[in-house]
Amino acid sequence: MQNSQQQAYDRGITIFSPDGRLYQVEYAREAVKRGTAAVGVRTPEGVVLAADGRLRSSLQVAESVEKIHKADEHLGIATAGHAADARQLVDLSRRRAQVERLRYGEAVDVETLTKAITDNIQEFTQTGGARPFGCALLIGGVDEDGSPRLFETDPSGTPYEWKAVAVGGNQREAQDELEANYPEVETVDDGLQLAFDALAATADGGLTPEGMSAATIPVETGSFETLERSEIADHLDENGLLDEE
Amino acid sequence: MNPNDRPTLGADGSPTGDRFETGAGLQDGFADGDHGVAGDGAAEYSTGTTTVGLVAADGVVLATDRRASLGGRFVSNKDVVKVEQVHPTAALTIAGSVGAAQAYIKQLRAESDLYRTRRDRRMSMEALSSVASGLLRGLPVSPLLGGVDPGTEGAEPHLYQLDGAGGRIEESAYAATGSGMTVATGALEREYDPDADIEAVVPTAVDAVLAASERDTASGNGVVVARVTSDGVETERRDGTGALMNGATGDIQ
Repeated sequence: MQNSQQQAYDRGITIFSPDGRLYQVEYAREAVKRGTAAVGVRTPEGVVLAADGRLRSSLQVAESVEKIHKADEHLGIATAGHAADARQLVDLSRRRAQVERLRYGEAVDVETLTKAITDNIQEFTQTGGARPFGCALLIGGVDEDGSPRLFETDPSGTPYEWKAVAVGGNQREAQDELEANYPEVETVDDGLQLAFDALAATADGGLTPEGMSAATIPVETGSFETLERSEIADHLDENGLLDEE
Repeated sequence: MNPNDRPTLGADGSPTGDRFETGAGLQDGFADGDHGVAGDGAAEYSTGTTTVGLVAADGVVLATDRRASLGGRFVSNKDVVKVEQVHPTAALTIAGSVGAAQAYIKQLRAESDLYRTRRDRRMSMEALSSVASGLLRGLPVSPLLGGVDPGTEGAEPHLYQLDGAGGRIEESAYAATGSGMTVATGALEREYDPDADIEAVVPTAVDAVLAASERDTASGNGVVVARVTSDGVETERRDGTGALMNGATGDIQ
């Protein structure tokens, strides 16, 4: 009896454990760690997003692994964890960005958008019968005043702002790499370099460009731009990050 | 509402200014005497007032008369303030139904305050005017919105003419609404100086409202002037000659 009562704490999402934890939310964080890594780097010249993806077979179309999404002209989102859950939040972001343009005639700030998304995520940690989102998002962009911003959302619905951050599998290794080398980052290219280095730290034996994606939002243009896979391959090759096999 | 009855800003030669239908009959309002009957039989509602807005180098001046009338035939109040602050650096003049205008202003202030508390910065005039025109849709009110953006090189003044169909037109120089708009516009046309600063623009605004008060029966009883600058909104009352009234200056709110 005692045992079955205790087990209930991790079944009902809306139930606190006696020591004040929400197990379902913590399990959702574990789900994020099971995925491949996504990295964001804020530089004075813009924001960089990069992600590693996993191809199940050589027959899978690489482009169908979507880890980085354009949310609006000035906004990009990198995702880690359950891709299907993330897609829902990406679509919410796109709609929210358009609502802002309709309502205020302005592009939505990265912080405002992030908080709209995290408020939505939070609802799913307090609603009976619901399940938390098993994904983390990195929301990067350039505000109307020209400031580059980078935020993380986690399954609890808490927003965090970062200079550089990694989420997903082997997050710790990637974050160590970011912490060690962030001070040297000045340009968008530096940011890309650091992002790839951080991703390489999560992958044994180097990276393969096939599953990877990267995007930048430079301050100068304020526009989301994805990198071609060949550009990613060149970057990796120049810096010896390619998988040797 | 018949789309053909939508206000035609400035292009309408009618001295009754913008018209709006309402389901109700005669309401207490800044209404004039022209209560035509709309196609569906509902009483037509017209604005009876004069409000002007002028862009200065360092801000915007908004001015209105002080008369409220019932149907433009009876002066129901001789000391009405028809300029209201809706944002730290923006104000709105109202012409049309008083009840609708008051509810509208409360809503706009709430939107502006909420935006500021949520985002820790003020609404830009682009954002404020977008919200203001969206909220106005369907209301029998025709306001002028004047405000100031901080700008990188000093204050950037903006003036918008809004209408009940949700329209928003930015004016680079001056605008007038209400039943006295044609007379006021004539005065503005002659006196307005595009290079003048805010203190030099105030007499022009007062003259325009006084000119309309002379000839428009639904306008009169003095002038309220609001100076909108990057420091905020300052409002003062003037008598029927345009002279400042004793002890009657002060901000609204």
